[in-house]
Amino acid sequence: MANNLATASTFEYDLVVIGAGPAGATTARFAAAHGLSVLLVDKKQELGAPIQCSGAISYNALAHAQVTPNAEFVHEAIYGFTIYNQAGAQTTIDYRQLKPNEYGTGPGANPLGFVVDRRRFDRYLTTQAERAGATIWLKTEALGYQPCPDGSCEVSLQRFNETITVKAKVVAGADGVQSQVGKWAGIKTHIKLSELASCLQLIVDGVQTDGLLEIITGHQWAPGGYAWVFPKGHGYAEIGLGITTTMCTDNAQTYLDRFLKDSFFKERFKNSKILEIQGGGVPLAAPLKTQYAENLVLVGDAARHVNPITGGGLHTALASGKIAGEFIAQLITSGQPATKENLEGYHQNWLAAMGNSMWQLYHTKRQIFEMEDIAERDEALYKTMSNYFSPDSVYKKI
Amino acid sequence: MSNKEAVLFTVSWNACIQCGACVAVCPQPPGFTSPFNTIAINEPCDIACMFCETLCPVSAITHTTVAELIV
Repeated sequence: MANNLATASTFEYDLVVIGAGPAGATTARFAAAHGLSVLLVDKKQELGAPIQCSGAISYNALAHAQVTPNAEFVHEAIYGFTIYNQAGAQTTIDYRQLKPNEYGTGPGANPLGFVVDRRRFDRYLTTQAERAGATIWLKTEALGYQPCPDGSCEVSLQRFNETITVKAKVVAGADGVQSQVGKWAGIKTHIKLSELASCLQLIVDGVQTDGLLEIITGHQWAPGGYAWVFPKGHGYAEIGLGITTTMCTDNAQTYLDRFLKDSFFKERFKNSKILEIQGGGVPLAAPLKTQYAENLVLVGDAARHVNPITGGGLHTALASGKIAGEFIAQLITSGQPATKENLEGYHQNWLAAMGNSMWQLYHTKRQIFEMEDIAERDEALYKTMSNYFSPDSVYKKI
Repeated sequence: MSNKEAVLFTVSWNACIQCGACVAVCPQPPGFTSPFNTIAINEPCDIACMFCETLCPVSAITHTTVAELIV
């Protein structure tokens, strides 16, 4: 790291990526691999922490982003899902049985997906960006950006107490659901309270799992969201939930406590020992209508590239990072300026690849959560979740 | 600006899990943050929507009105 420390106060890069999570690191990797000079900054000293995510991602999502599953970050392989309704009735979709030649542990078969360690996963992705040629600065907070008359922009950073100005052609804001970068550019990023799930999860010992992501629906346990039990490897499990606070009377902690002690899983959970506590805000919202501005694009959670039904954001972060990195590289290497008009192409590419499907999911989600009858809403969510993860789902790649 | 009274937030660092949900839902302009991934605690909030308090998964955020502080 010592040779990375700044010795002057002005630097120049084609692309500055703010936020070294999965979306930012992937944007940086693809842009650097296509020949751009890239600076990837993050305000933290340890990537991926504090963990705000369950860490589930599909095998196909990794493959699409050219990430090889690696023991460095894989906690446990996943082979399917079990969806529960409020009373405990279940729909199991185990791909080891549905498609044994494709999914499983046998020759030629692969897992359906993985639960990853977000600290190691984020570090791994950032390492791949660095190996593709990107420069990485940690403990570097982005303070603002200013488009310049020459078509470039200046990004103001603070790194270990030093204020640094970086000249860049493009800034990619990948600073998560709390994004400040979008606000800099005047992009309408504000999210409604009714569309941001309040999430809390525990890493526990003493809860058995079987290679399936378990999803528990029902207003009683998680109003406006769902609860989950995910395998975490080494005999550990994640137990968590996300709620919509406008549909609740208590906070997520209270609902999680109730789920542990009162649900149909209470016997299963009675010997669990809490090892970690994690949480976050997950947008169950529409993607941003505008994800670009002069010299600037937003990627990942910052652009609300999150599945509005499942709350999953890892797959969409990697996919949108790839789209952004490749688009920006093509734009810059072709000599075109990074104007707002030119950067709209990124948004259009994203819509075509996955955004239009995410908009459809958002409308489906709204239809469910706008149902006033709780029993009807519970039934609709259970059915939708069960259909969503089935082999015939039209949304299986989102 | 809302017609509500300006407030000053307090974060219980004992309860806060630094998840950033409060920042995510905050309608303030950029920079209304603390160094610990929360909403600002050292400047008044004149919007006072209280979304951050409502959303916090562990109820770590409380507030006092600025008027109460002056008295």
